[in-house]
Amino acid sequence: MAFSEFLDGKRGEIKQLIAELSPYFSYVSVLATDVKASQVMANRMNSAINEGAASECGFVVKMNDGRSFFEYSTDDIGGDKKALAQEILQSLEINPDLHKDMITANPIADDPLVQSFERPCDFDDYSPEQLIDYCKNIKDKLLAMDAHVVNAVCSLNFFTVSKLFISNDKELDQFYSWANAYATVVYKDGDKMVQAREGTYSNLMREALGGLPALLEKLVTKAKKLSTAKPIEPGVYDCITDPSITGLIAHEAFGHGVEMDQFVKDRALAKEYVGKYVASPICNMHDGAAAAFSTASYFFDDDGVLAQDTQIIKDGILVRGISDLTSASELKTSPTGNGRRQSYKRKAYARMTNTFFEKGNDKLEDMIASIKHGYMLFETNNGMEDPKNWQIQCTAEYGIEIIDGKLTDNYVAPVVMSGYVPDVLKSISMISDDFQVIGSGSCGKGYKEWVRVSDGGPALKVRVKLA
Amino acid sequence: MEKIIDIIKEYSEVSDYKISKVSTQSYELFFVHTSLETVRSTSTTDRTVTIYVDHDGKRGDSVFSVYASTTEEELRGKIELAIEKAKLVNNQSYTLPESETLDEEIYSNMSEYAPKDLAYEIAKACFAANEEQSGSINALEIFVNKISVRVVNSRGVDKQEHKYKAMVEAIPTWTENAESVELYECYNFSSFDFETVKAEIQGKMQEVKDRYFATKPAVNPTCPVVLNAPEIRELLWTLVSQLHYGTVHSHSNAFKKDDVLQTSDCDKLTVTLRGKIEGGSANALFDGDGVTLVDTKVIENGKVISYYGANRFAQYLGEKVTGNLPCIQLAKGSVSVAEMQSNPYFECVSMSGLQVDVYNDYIGGEVRLAYYFDGEKRVPLTGISISGKLSEALNHLNLSEETTTSNDYFGPKKALLGKISVI
Repeated sequence: MAFSEFLDGKRGEIKQLIAELSPYFSYVSVLATDVKASQVMANRMNSAINEGAASECGFVVKMNDGRSFFEYSTDDIGGDKKALAQEILQSLEINPDLHKDMITANPIADDPLVQSFERPCDFDDYSPEQLIDYCKNIKDKLLAMDAHVVNAVCSLNFFTVSKLFISNDKELDQFYSWANAYATVVYKDGDKMVQAREGTYSNLMREALGGLPALLEKLVTKAKKLSTAKPIEPGVYDCITDPSITGLIAHEAFGHGVEMDQFVKDRALAKEYVGKYVASPICNMHDGAAAAFSTASYFFDDDGVLAQDTQIIKDGILVRGISDLTSASELKTSPTGNGRRQSYKRKAYARMTNTFFEKGNDKLEDMIASIKHGYMLFETNNGMEDPKNWQIQCTAEYGIEIIDGKLTDNYVAPVVMSGYVPDVLKSISMISDDFQVIGSGSCGKGYKEWVRVSDGGPALKVRVKLA
Repeated sequence: MEKIIDIIKEYSEVSDYKISKVSTQSYELFFVHTSLETVRSTSTTDRTVTIYVDHDGKRGDSVFSVYASTTEEELRGKIELAIEKAKLVNNQSYTLPESETLDEEIYSNMSEYAPKDLAYEIAKACFAANEEQSGSINALEIFVNKISVRVVNSRGVDKQEHKYKAMVEAIPTWTENAESVELYECYNFSSFDFETVKAEIQGKMQEVKDRYFATKPAVNPTCPVVLNAPEIRELLWTLVSQLHYGTVHSHSNAFKKDDVLQTSDCDKLTVTLRGKIEGGSANALFDGDGVTLVDTKVIENGKVISYYGANRFAQYLGEKVTGNLPCIQLAKGSVSVAEMQSNPYFECVSMSGLQVDVYNDYIGGEVRLAYYFDGEKRVPLTGISISGKLSEALNHLNLSEETTTSNDYFGPKKALLGKISVI
């Protein structure tokens, strides 16, 4: 598989459209996308091989004339470009009373660059028949492992992304892929029913498929344990977070808070804390499509800015935020390659990519041994940011009680962790020397604008409120 | 669409087909404070084709997209690949809905405005809601959408609906003495009234002012918890998701027909899923299969009486086809809001998100703003959470007589739940 032939054939038409719009705007760019997503699934009763909902093919034109930004999204740029340009201009007219309210934008740095990027992809090595057979085989194995498994699901979600970005000075294209393999069981013991899941991920199908079989026993054992889970006694506890929960804290606590479009809107308290301690001095946090290799690793963002590794927190001090082209222009800073769109139909915002804490020097067993009574928390369920007021809510699928420095067999579920961000981050007292970024996440901004993200890091020892 | 159908008909292996076409015209304004940062418009069409192939006594299907750019040769390739994939899918047989046609517009007064003028009027209504110097709307996003949906299948279904939707995302903020707090507002509607939009945002402005003055309590209140319409909506959708034919068919449902969710002497849940509610933002005439939506009561007096869902799983379960119903209605309760709030209560005004886990019998979440009434005075609180057993909360439930619409929900304005801890 390789870069989209369709997009490749549209370069000339895109340049014509930019030429037609350039008399009206000092900056004109076009992002063209061709995303091919697929889903293969088998459960006890059904199976499916479909195109995934994330599939898209379209164009978004972005324009600026020193004041407000203008964008036009369409699935079709065929035909006469002069007429299309006029149609675009007409569709973006504003009520005359709004002219006085337009922002004044700073000049957009659009450094000349022509480059192609491509990452190896092996999806063509697998036929639909092989993939559905794989899912059915995993499903059958899970159902055979324990009579309490009332349903088992194996699903494969995979996609290839081709994006072409053209402006007056730039012409960039990229092609990359990602695959997620999931196994889920519905486990019923008496009246108690639970669901549990395991997953693998890679840019290569063979790695995503290859890792899952080894997790099936762990999955059914986990489901069995979860069927015994009890509610947690609400309170403040010493906790150890697994990499998934570590990543969720990084994401909700400071990731959203340093999205610099929030700085522009005075929505982020972090704006006032750049250069100040916001976390324990042993904390270092990064974000970037080039900071780690995972599901949010692209070569350039949806504004045509190259991927970067941004260190957000260094030794506990907030260093800088992450930005898209528009917010960087308004703040007179350099964009960090974090301009992302849910699809070509949506606006680009400053968004996280791969967000994580750096690993530390502690051994996980020493961290667990240091806790008299607390919990180890596992697996992200969901979270919610509050960048202005620094409250966070992170929900873990389950926790395991720690008593006298040892993990017990006592499971609790679900576990909702909440608190004041600086309190949580300053309570970090130990950081493990291992590291994992979980490549199966997605993230909204508020309650919309979903993009694929990864989160992770080492295990943390924190003190938080659990309920 | 007709061209696609003509080409599909050339393939004898195709037993049935379905084509969905969604055309969206949008106009969007993005404000930073009161300044216009971005203007967007979109003109897009999504075409989704489902190919069904009957083989070996089973039915397989496969879905693919057709773009404006898709050539005839590419379309043939997609159909052939879909046939190949469908042959690998061995699902129990089912039939498609048959012989119904429709072409209707769901009336909205938004059709009377040019999109750019409607978006401007909505912006004016939002900004007019802030009348105090310490208040501001730090960010405002306005989306005005005209959406046309058409579903055609090989069994004579050809349905179209045309509708309008608007969404406001606003960030009301309160700043005093260089300290500032905000709340998040996402407001969906399908007909425009200046004063209604203004009142909605005004309510949030008052709440964000209260959040500024809110404190973390020295001692956590011990009293019933009040939820408002958005959280009642979250709770109900989580409950009824267990009653969807797809969930039931996959044996993933925590509740089943005839289960009694409430046994105590409290206000009982009576929940009806509907295609349309007055002022609802998700109103629809038919679902993705083209099935006419049939309003369905799923819970009556606290007892599960029915399941609901789309064509295929309805047939598998031998149930009536209700369609995927997009709106939810809860019958009004027995107490007035005034009565509900005459005794001590803890009202969750703004939450990070209500967490409801039916498998682990849990309800809870972080509360960004609450009002605590101790019997004498009402004070704003923050920095707290709620946590409890879902089953116990449902058995200590009172619903308000007063009703409201919130997004896709119509029902009591407030619910009072006992046995939930404030922590």
